[in-house]
Amino acid sequence: MSNNGRPGPKTPVTLKILRYKPGSIDPPRYDTFQVDADPLMTVLDALEEIRATEDPTLAYRHSCHHASCGTCAMKVNGKDVLSCVTKVLDQKSDVIVVEPLGTMPLVADLVVDMGDFARRYEPAGLSFVRESEYLTEAQTPEGVERYTRFESCIECGICLSACPVANTNASFIGPAGLAAWYRSLQKGDGERADILAAVDSDCGVWGCHGAMECTEACPSQVQPGDLIMYLRREVVKSKLPWAH
Amino acid sequence: MTPIPIQQATRRRKALRAWFDPRGRGLGFIAFALQRITGLGLVLYLLLHMAVLTTLLQGESAWDQFVAFAKSPIMLLFDLLLIAGILIHGLNGLRVSIVGLGFGVKQHKTFFWIMMLLSALLFVYAGWLLFAH
Amino acid sequence: MQKTTPSKRGGSWIWQALTGVLLILLLGLHMIAQHFVVSGGLRTFQDVIDYLRNPVILVLEAIFMLVVTYHAMVGVRAILYDLGLDEAGKKKATTVLTILGALIIVWAAYLLLRLTSM
Ligand code: HEM
Ligand code: FES
Repeated sequence: MSNNGRPGPKTPVTLKILRYKPGSIDPPRYDTFQVDADPLMTVLDALEEIRATEDPTLAYRHSCHHASCGTCAMKVNGKDVLSCVTKVLDQKSDVIVVEPLGTMPLVADLVVDMGDFARRYEPAGLSFVRESEYLTEAQTPEGVERYTRFESCIECGICLSACPVANTNASFIGPAGLAAWYRSLQKGDGERADILAAVDSDCGVWGCHGAMECTEACPSQVQPGDLIMYLRREVVKSKLPWAH
Repeated sequence: MTPIPIQQATRRRKALRAWFDPRGRGLGFIAFALQRITGLGLVLYLLLHMAVLTTLLQGESAWDQFVAFAKSPIMLLFDLLLIAGILIHGLNGLRVSIVGLGFGVKQHKTFFWIMMLLSALLFVYAGWLLFAH
Repeated sequence: MQKTTPSKRGGSWIWQALTGVLLILLLGLHMIAQHFVVSGGLRTFQDVIDYLRNPVILVLEAIFMLVVTYHAMVGVRAILYDLGLDEAGKKKATTVLTILGALIIVWAAYLLLRLTSM
């Protein structure tokens, strides 16, 4: 096992990884790998090590390594997490089960089809950039007109995977999509009536049963479940007889 | 490459796992699963209850037979299960209705525990009534 | 792949919540009146009949049956919808559950009428 350069004592850990290659590893199976984990090793680090030293065909997605790109989401011991900030030893288990996200169709190994996420998320048309709510009084450097801030959602798909309804219902817009509609409403992007109409259906806000797993799992403080509840209130308010 | 929609092929097995398997899930999920299980249980009970009440049409002796059967210990346990189901479903349902309209969203877990505590208290009281009479 | 077409059937959750809250009252009354105030939890044959002849009780039981049946059928439908039915499947679920609900209500009405005239 290569020395990965991180400090601290090494602990042997087994990773049980779901494998799937259409046509060759089909149906899916679990493969096990050993890694020597140090306290700082993340699940993504472990996957990188396995791919580099043991199995170059292991497929997974990642980019930033620091919880901001949202590509590395997967299930670790049944929980939907960003593997780049999930430490191996924090799992406190000798065998760690690593599986792809649920809900979205499986492409290969730990890779799911994010097109399914996009299909539910994009109709809200949420822009990435939002007005900064912070430092409104702060001086901006020369050439910078104002501070901007990115929307919190990193489009990782964790909420969609954690949602018991989205798991079985492909026509449910789902947490990220509904949260995006709520953000549009908050920001005043588009007609209020149009936004409310877009979510007022059994595929929209009424498809949610309030399990709040999305809020629980969201690694980026979007709290989609909470926003769905607020969106519902807006829909109901707009229908009250005295609303007009 | 066309992705393989594994979930479509095994929809029903997936539904059982997605809705009722609590592993790796939080309190909100437990509440969701409980609401679903108790809801389905109550629907079955409603049908059973009406079937039983239909024996009233057959007159007094058929009914007396049922009453005697209903007082057996097994049936009393079944009654306890029913009461627990009604309390959990009803009180959690009230919570779901309130949170589902955007009120107390941040406190939904505390709210759940309050409802379950209330259920437990009422359950003990109902159980006492059931066995004291 | 399925589209997220917003079919316009969003109103039923609100009705399920409202009937649910109503059921706390109706089911509470039903349990107390029919079972808990009765010694032994169940009436004798003649008591059941006499009790149902009380018009207030009869009306309450009738309303209870209507509300509980609606709530239960909408609930089962919501669960079926979660299986990701397409529009045709949703229509079918609604039709089947409407018929089932209607049968339950007819059955309940028949029972109540027969018993009160016994
Ligand atoms: C005692 C008062 C009751 C209250 C307050 C209540 C409330 C609720 C609420 C708010 C829901 C919606 C849950 C959701 O959207 O996830 C629900 C679902 C349901 N209820 Fe009730 N309910 C009551 C009694 C009953 C009874 C007596 C039955 C059966 C005859 C029943 C059957 C169902 C079913 C089948 C569901 C669907 C469960 C699901 O969506 O997962 N409920 N109830
Ligand atoms: S690699 Fe970018 S969020 Fe994990």
